[in-house]
Amino acid sequence: MGILTRRLVGMVLLAAALASGVLGIGSRAAQAHPHVWITATSELLYTEDGAITGVRHAWTFDDMFSTYALQGIESKTKGVYSHEELAALAQTNVESLKEFGYFTFAKADGKKQKFLEPTDYFLEYRDGLLTLHFTLPLKTPVKSRELALEVFDPTFFVDFKYADKDPVKLVGAPAACQASFQRPNDGTASAQTLGEQNFMSGENSNFGAMFANKIAVACP
Amino acid sequence: MKRVFGRVAPRGFARGLMFCALALATVLMLDAVVHVLLAQTPFGGARPGAEPQASGIVGWLLAKQSEFYREMSATIRSAKSDGSAVWTLLAISFAYGIFHAAGPGHGKAVISSYLVANQETARRGVVLSFASALMQSLVAVLVVGIFAWLLNATAKTMCGAERVIEIASYALIAAFGARLVWVKGGGFMRALQAQQPIPATAMATHSHAHEHQHAHKHGHDPDHHDHGQHHHDHHHEHDEHGGHSHGPVPSELAGPGGWRRGFGAIVAVGLRPCSGAILVLVFALAQGLFWAGVAATFVMGLGTAITVTAIALMALSAKDLARRLSGARDGGGALFMRGVEFGAAGLVLLFGVGLLFGYLAAERVTCF
Repeated sequence: MGILTRRLVGMVLLAAALASGVLGIGSRAAQAHPHVWITATSELLYTEDGAITGVRHAWTFDDMFSTYALQGIESKTKGVYSHEELAALAQTNVESLKEFGYFTFAKADGKKQKFLEPTDYFLEYRDGLLTLHFTLPLKTPVKSRELALEVFDPTFFVDFKYADKDPVKLVGAPAACQASFQRPNDGTASAQTLGEQNFMSGENSNFGAMFANKIAVACP
Repeated sequence: MKRVFGRVAPRGFARGLMFCALALATVLMLDAVVHVLLAQTPFGGARPGAEPQASGIVGWLLAKQSEFYREMSATIRSAKSDGSAVWTLLAISFAYGIFHAAGPGHGKAVISSYLVANQETARRGVVLSFASALMQSLVAVLVVGIFAWLLNATAKTMCGAERVIEIASYALIAAFGARLVWVKGGGFMRALQAQQPIPATAMATHSHAHEHQHAHKHGHDPDHHDHGQHHHDHHHEHDEHGGHSHGPVPSELAGPGGWRRGFGAIVAVGLRPCSGAILVLVFALAQGLFWAGVAATFVMGLGTAITVTAIALMALSAKDLARRLSGARDGGGALFMRGVEFGAAGLVLLFGVGLLFGYLAAERVTCF
């Protein structure tokens, strides 16, 4: 190899190495991994005339995070926490969640909807797990033919998995409205489905929007 | 370890190793490109309509480590009644550490860039990676030990402390990068000047560089960081005289204060504890098994160190290969390598600033 050729090859290699470094960092940003697991159920609240007013979430944290969150919280009886004893923590929770848009993203007929700050929030402690209940009111109640609601953490620090039983309920919705629910199609939200087969097809390992739990309501 | 990395590997072996490193780098690069093209933006919401099918290896690693992590809480619980479960816990923690470090953060990028910028040896790369991972574990144990165990502070307070530490760490990385850029930028400019083809000015340029080096030496002598610079100038001087790029001679690196040089990198990277370790420690504390959590944290750090080391060594081999291929026959090769070091220094600065201002989401500390 001549000197020129060698230098050329060297430069290409280096550019490739640097590019992989930079791109690698950029892409890893979207590939954080969860430290908090939430099992969720959601109720979509409707008025009598068929407008959606908000969403009522119940999020149960995994035992590691539940224990972490309870650190330093005093209770009268050991291992039993009343709603009152957890009130301050619940408030911290909903206040902190604001920064992340409550991990809830709504669109009515394709138009993005805004939420107000949560109401009726409290924490419940049962069997070592904390469940955060809160209602997320829509800024303006809206009647729409198609409503799309997504629940996920875009940075994937939190892994949302909807409950197996009754994940989504419509409350007071017109009888004609039909709800459908789609779980994220990646295997990481449900690690038990992980296997060599779907790993090879690459279907279990996509990151980003595919963590989204998608709720759709069609009202003709 | 000392013996293995101190010995000069046979040529064929070295070449084979580099080929492997190169192949791996290529795979990672392709993987990264795919991710960048397909993944949603980290700043906004989801990219509409995109249903990315991310590639296997990294995705699999991350899915795997989630699995290990979730097994940890159950294992700590059972360790309360069954002491042998601690061994299971340690095994899981070790595996978790290895897989976990494949995710963002943990200083892989910063350490790798630093090693490339500062012409460090593989041996030093190993030591830096292990030391920074150990320090991350130590900080996690200290944070939980002080805030949760001694003060019985709430998670909110602890998380606030974590955030402060995080910002300090990022600021340190940025400052560290800025210093590297300053030093390596100087080396690059001088190599550029030495490259001037007119023979009449070559001598003038040379003597100028010489003076410059002297001024630096005297100006910063009390600062121990100067050793890095000293070494660099020395090496650079070599290039100018003979027009060769020899690469660092081991004896040069073992100079006085040699090991202290990497101290800044260890502190900057190691200061920031892993959120996962903090959660595990608090959980273990609540189960009355703090010591098991501490042991798990350090074993986790060991696993992390192995992954970080592998990536750091890969970066070093890539640089070495680039240096060989770029041809050490004339000054061009030296200039090229100065440029590489300058670029790597720039990357460290970029990481620090990016992390500090949240453009690069490392493992974010989430308080809620």
